[in-house]
Amino acid sequence: MLTKKQRLFNVLEGTDVDRPPCICPGGMMNMVTEELINQRGINFTNAHHDPELMADLAETVVTSGCFENYGVPFCMTVEAEGFGAEVTYGSNSVEPHVTTYLNKSVAEWSVLPKVDHKTGRSAVVLEAIKLLKERNKSVPIVGNITGPISTASSLMEPVDFYKELRKKNEDAHAYMSKVTESLMDFMNLQIEAGADIIAISDPSGTGEILGPKLFSDFAVPYLNKLVDCASERGIPTIVHICGQMKNVYKEVNCLKSHALSFDAMVNMKDARLNLSDRCIMGNLSTYALEFGTTEKIERLTRQCLNQGVDIVAPACGLGMRSPLENIQTILRTVKEGV
Amino acid sequence: MTQVKDELLKKLSDGVLEMEEDVVIESANAYLEAGYPVLDGVLHGLVDGMNRAGVLFDEEEYFVTDVLLCSDAMYEGLNILRPHLPAEEVEKEKPQGVIGVVEGDTHDIGKNLVKIMLETAGFEMHDLGRDVPLQSFVSKAKEINADLVCLSTLMTTTMGGMETVINLLKEEGIRDNMKVIVGGGPISQKYADMIGADGYSVNAVEAVKLSKSLLSLA
Repeated sequence: MLTKKQRLFNVLEGTDVDRPPCICPGGMMNMVTEELINQRGINFTNAHHDPELMADLAETVVTSGCFENYGVPFCMTVEAEGFGAEVTYGSNSVEPHVTTYLNKSVAEWSVLPKVDHKTGRSAVVLEAIKLLKERNKSVPIVGNITGPISTASSLMEPVDFYKELRKKNEDAHAYMSKVTESLMDFMNLQIEAGADIIAISDPSGTGEILGPKLFSDFAVPYLNKLVDCASERGIPTIVHICGQMKNVYKEVNCLKSHALSFDAMVNMKDARLNLSDRCIMGNLSTYALEFGTTEKIERLTRQCLNQGVDIVAPACGLGMRSPLENIQTILRTVKEGV
Repeated sequence: MTQVKDELLKKLSDGVLEMEEDVVIESANAYLEAGYPVLDGVLHGLVDGMNRAGVLFDEEEYFVTDVLLCSDAMYEGLNILRPHLPAEEVEKEKPQGVIGVVEGDTHDIGKNLVKIMLETAGFEMHDLGRDVPLQSFVSKAKEINADLVCLSTLMTTTMGGMETVINLLKEEGIRDNMKVIVGGGPISQKYADMIGADGYSVNAVEAVKLSKSLLSLA
């Protein structure tokens, strides 16, 4: 039988597997719920600062039969905080989020600080990855990076950021380049710490917000910089994009990641048609996971399998109040097969 | 003479549609100088352009960034024309709306679009911003005697807050004085029905149609 790690690697490399893996990467694609946190007796706000707790919680996700991977961190604020944006750490039921921006305009790109990822919460993530690597080598460790557009739009008011992509096009590219460089540093350190796979989630860089032209100019190239860099080091990547894809399939297909992960509203049959040979991941509605019955989750999981999804995964970060039973139903159904 | 007026109106409208702030500013000033009725400039020029942008957005020809830039151009024009509107227009009562993203959520792009399109449609919108404490919706609605309350969230974790706002409005005894509409990524008509909202809309253009029909406005 394949180990969890081998199965995921095989799928990402396009070789044979006994069944699709069932994962939830972490980062913006949060896989932690209130029930899990309470079960393990961890205070969630502390888990963002303590590598032991972070590793413990990541481990619980696997041992409780939710998903077949480790993944850290549990939010998408580490990168922005590294740059100097202010973050609140939420509670057991609310994820951390940015409260105060760093910049007013992309024109400030030249004064963006150089982030030292060996300190602060970046260092916590790196340490947690090392701990997980020591604990179990058969479970794949997913290191998470917040995508370039999502990081940039966490550093300044998103509305201004989006407008400046056109109004200050050159400055916007310079801003994105600097942000991407920093993300690349963080990613490389995660790989050195032992991350087996890198997942990049860019929920703010959707086709619906940007349209095909800006998506092609600002989402694709910077994501590909990260993907290329990981590939050079032999590390497979997953890129998650939120929102509807139908206007940007052509552009999305230019992303060079090993797998593409999609939101719940994307029809996976369409995705398969438009992205014929790509490894596709998704896309269980997190709304259904929080509010649906186990029967519904079972049905949706089978539907994903039938539609030819290569990796079964939630379509977005899990709602913190999702019942554990619902989450466990996904993996159980995947194991039972179609 | 009329021809010049129509030309300027077209320039205002096209300038908004094509996101050309400079064209809009120049045309708005020229329009004022020529002494044409200011209200026409607003409605048949700027607002017309924004409505055309809304149609393109609905047809998925325009995307969020486009609409944001169109609205920038529209507001530049409004800044010039508005101070010259006749007093009876300024004082005319507009339907009052409260809008915001519920507590715990900071995603406000969708909310901003809805606000822009409702303002374009003649509503006076009181924007509470994002991550808004639920009680604030109620206090504001009461203070301004709101006709419309618009709640938005993009996160499943925070959507429960919408139901709380509706319950708070009931407790306050003002729920029936206004219409409550909801929207955002995880929200659906079914959810809107479940929590007792008056309506749900999938995007900003639909939100305007919905609000107008709920309030029986032309």
